[in-house]
Amino acid sequence: MPRPLLILLASLMLAGCNGRSERAGGALLATSQQAPALSGSGEWLAVISDRGGRPTVQLRRLSDRSVVSVPQLSRHQPHSSPSLSWNGRYLAAITQRGRRRLAVVTDRLNGRMHPLPLPGGRDPVQLSLAPDGQQIALQVTDQGRWRVELLDLSDLLEPDRPPGQSLSTPALSSEP
Amino acid sequence: MIRIALLLSLMLMTGCSSPRPTPRPDLNGMLRQSVNSRRDPSLGGRWLASLGQRNGRERVELIDLRSRNPVPLPGLNRADAQPISVSVSADGQRLAVVQQREDRTELVLYRRNVGATQRLPLDPPGVPRSVSLDGSGRRLAVQVSRNGRWDVDLIRLP
Repeated sequence: MPRPLLILLASLMLAGCNGRSERAGGALLATSQQAPALSGSGEWLAVISDRGGRPTVQLRRLSDRSVVSVPQLSRHQPHSSPSLSWNGRYLAAITQRGRRRLAVVTDRLNGRMHPLPLPGGRDPVQLSLAPDGQQIALQVTDQGRWRVELLDLSDLLEPDRPPGQSLSTPALSSEP
Repeated sequence: MIRIALLLSLMLMTGCSSPRPTPRPDLNGMLRQSVNSRRDPSLGGRWLASLGQRNGRERVELIDLRSRNPVPLPGLNRADAQPISVSVSADGQRLAVVQQREDRTELVLYRRNVGATQRLPLDPPGVPRSVSLDGSGRRLAVQVSRNGRWDVDLIRLP
């Protein structure tokens, strides 16, 4: 057996033993990807990716690596800081409205988008949605410092719980 | 009668207004008072992980939102480490942290039940930046700088 082939086989075997790491790239290896966010279930991945030079949220189902469109987030770039609920029903992100940054939560089950304006006209910097979608943590700039503030979303969104714990949330179909 | 009518109309008005997100003043006051500056929030159910700065030093903090108390993280915030990004699992047991230590940026996993960090090597090597754990804390996505651009790596954890 030729030596290069042996080396290749040996390195493949070694990689196979280690094999816990994979790249999320798939069909989009050519573009840069930032700010990854996994759903609670680990089935969905949201990233910020360049689309026509504009940082845009991209949602991917990891089981088949397919890109799933989120029509509510096709505008208002640049997007930043995506965050997903347990089954990927809710996708939160920071969007641009004129000169202001605005946090939004999209409900992929019914296509609604909920803006989350901050009192006092402050702009969000980063966010994290709780896995059940019942609250959100927002990093804001306040008098030259960073703060983290919590908003209760339980009046706005029904819970997105892990399967088996679901009380009122219907199962999410693969396409919104 | 007028009073009842007023009360009724108030109830009707409240009922008609669309549901809104409501601030949590109790928790927000606590989050503001305990540190000079706080960033990079990560919510896992009742757990809030973030990077809090006190006396000029940034540390990973985990707060139990139910008891409103910080949770001790022995072995995590080493004096020579500067945290960059943090993510917490839904049960609050696992924290993924990107930190700078000895001129190197590394990705580590902290398990609360063990009280120790474990370095997670990147393959191929790269510089990690932003990290996200899934709910179970067994799958991780990390933004990595490689050859002048940003990749996202997925890592399965035992």
